[in-house]
Amino acid sequence: MAEKRDIRRGPGIRTVEINAARQVHARTVRARIPIDIGAIDSQEPATSTAISAPRFVQPALPQSSRQPSAAHSHVRHTCNNPRNPPCAHCGTMIVPSPVATLPLEDHPSLTINNWTISTKKKPILNSQELEDWENNKLKGLTLPEMIFGNSFVRIQEKTRNWSIEFNALDALREVKLKDSGIRVSYSKKWMDSKQQKQRQQQRLSIALGSSQPLSDIDDSALQIARHYDWTYTTKYKGTETSGSKKYKFKKDDSQTLPIDKLARPDHILFYDDMILFEDELADNGISIFNIKIRVMNERLLLLSRFFLRVDDVLIRVVDTRIVVEFDENKVIREYKEMEGDYKTLLTKHKMSHSHDPKAALRDSNWVAANIPLITRECEILNLNDPN
Amino acid sequence: MNCNNSGKTYMVTLEGTRQMNLDKIIILLKQGKHIREDCVYSLCIQAQELLMNESNVTHVDTPVTICGDIHGQLHDLLTLFEKSGGVEKSRYIFLGDFVDRGFYSLESFLLLLCYKLRYPDRITLIRGNHETRQITKVYGFYDEIMRKYGNSNVWRYCCEVFDYLSLGAIINERVFCIHGGLSPDITTIDEIRSIDRKQEVPHEGAMCDLLWSDPDEVDTWSLSPRGAGFLFGKGEVDQFLQTNNIELIARAHQLVMEGYKEMFDGGLVTVWSAPNYCYRCGNVAAVLTIDGQLERSYTIFDAVQSQNGMGHTIIPTKKPQMDYFL
Ligand SMILES: [Mn+2]
Repeated sequence: MAEKRDIRRGPGIRTVEINAARQVHARTVRARIPIDIGAIDSQEPATSTAISAPRFVQPALPQSSRQPSAAHSHVRHTCNNPRNPPCAHCGTMIVPSPVATLPLEDHPSLTINNWTISTKKKPILNSQELEDWENNKLKGLTLPEMIFGNSFVRIQEKTRNWSIEFNALDALREVKLKDSGIRVSYSKKWMDSKQQKQRQQQRLSIALGSSQPLSDIDDSALQIARHYDWTYTTKYKGTETSGSKKYKFKKDDSQTLPIDKLARPDHILFYDDMILFEDELADNGISIFNIKIRVMNERLLLLSRFFLRVDDVLIRVVDTRIVVEFDENKVIREYKEMEGDYKTLLTKHKMSHSHDPKAALRDSNWVAANIPLITRECEILNLNDPN
Repeated sequence: MNCNNSGKTYMVTLEGTRQMNLDKIIILLKQGKHIREDCVYSLCIQAQELLMNESNVTHVDTPVTICGDIHGQLHDLLTLFEKSGGVEKSRYIFLGDFVDRGFYSLESFLLLLCYKLRYPDRITLIRGNHETRQITKVYGFYDEIMRKYGNSNVWRYCCEVFDYLSLGAIINERVFCIHGGLSPDITTIDEIRSIDRKQEVPHEGAMCDLLWSDPDEVDTWSLSPRGAGFLFGKGEVDQFLQTNNIELIARAHQLVMEGYKEMFDGGLVTVWSAPNYCYRCGNVAAVLTIDGQLERSYTIFDAVQSQNGMGHTIIPTKKPQMDYFL
């Protein structure tokens, strides 16, 4: 079999396309810069001008007037990856800059005192890796379509050798290897029609005195071959490692996240957003596991979210939030499960507004704010005083 | 305007004028420019007339290039043509899923339609499970049309074309092309010819299976754990190949990091032609060329990228907004 493999750059794209691509790119970069939203639109590069040299909106240097002066006079973080500039104390936040040529990879990292935050983004698993996961690491599970299996978010405390990481493999290890009981909305109709067809052909077969069945489907065809939770629901809360047994989370549901402090528009030093796995459920909705992290001078917030929508059936959100207070060396972890009936939620949204009510059901933020809470748990880890 | 670029000389007739217009539209589409609603309407009507005459399973001669899912990634579709010879020189079969997910579903679909009208014998379009009203309403094409036109007319015109697309193709009587896979209701390719295809893809039955089913390591026909949809294994593929005296089933429908994946001792191949799917998967894409001796050769290509001023390349992402999430 002849194989022609050529992934070199082509002769280039048309000017018009380059301009369009530039706009998308400029928007992408700008979106990462913590400036006030009002300033964004005016910076759009002109569409009609075909320019030979790339003209990009450079990340604006923060104007000191915009910065809380305390944060600036007290710089204590270091950028650990020179590929992810500019952060020379502190040009601006760290801009993760994935290199899109294969292998696509990005590995930004930031240190504040004894805390190091790093993320890594790589493409979806290749066939060889998938085979390994399917046959060894996650035996019995039919894997989701897109697995960013070499990507992760990691928060490390160096002096005590404690860390928590979020990765796809550990998240998928918590997917149950049994029937979820959930079926797509038209399942009954589909099954009925197949069964009817089966019966028809059996009758026909008998009438013709044939010993051979006329159809390929026998009873086994309407049986599920492999049982696993096809919605990929995971209760994963992160993977901890610790040099000592005393550094363990303690359950304390009375704890709450410092929402007032987190809601403050403190300067963001590091921001990332990544998907660990995703499946389109054969176009019956979505199952997606996503991590967001933002690091400020005094604390960080990580949100790990599993979002499931089975069209016309149900919606489910599993959120884990982690807050690290750098000065107190304190970690709080809050875990929430939420679930609601699709139609009830749709009705709820219809009452509020909008010509496209289903759009809200694609927005995990709207959903999370509007579906019933099933479980909430909170844990705390005080590294200064673990007992 | 040059009317001779297909290799034939056209007289300035009504037909010539039509081709000239098509060439103009093709240029606009390649640049991602807006196409007027009445123009889309006329294209769709012409396409329906053309597709109406095609059978459910179209015969195609070698050499031919088989392409998998496109999903509105117009710039990558242009790369595809560039890397594989172009429609002016080569023959193509597209296995469906032209729309949804990407930012340029309309332009991608219309470009393929224009090529079909301009070079009818060089391009075969097969229906994918996304070429339906129900799916496009959820997965982006409908929203894209509302954004670009402020009303859904263009979406309706396109959906009417979807209903006329072929269900499959057969190359030199030896390679069977389909979007999804096999159906337990279909033993011979001839049985596909009796399906009434001019309708919205139903939720059950042979037409649905052909567009939706997936190959898997299963011993026999089995039900997906989702409660609808079939999985088929090597046994089913071998039997289908033998019954129909063919050597390969070429299908699309599933994302493959390497752009293509052969299964069941080479009896089935999945071809995927949307590189860096959804602008974030980092996969390469492939097309499969079948030559006169039925030899297979794969052409791999990468996504179109934009570069930033510092020489770093950044992939446009759908949701890059940094926000003060809580
Ligand atoms: Mn598909």
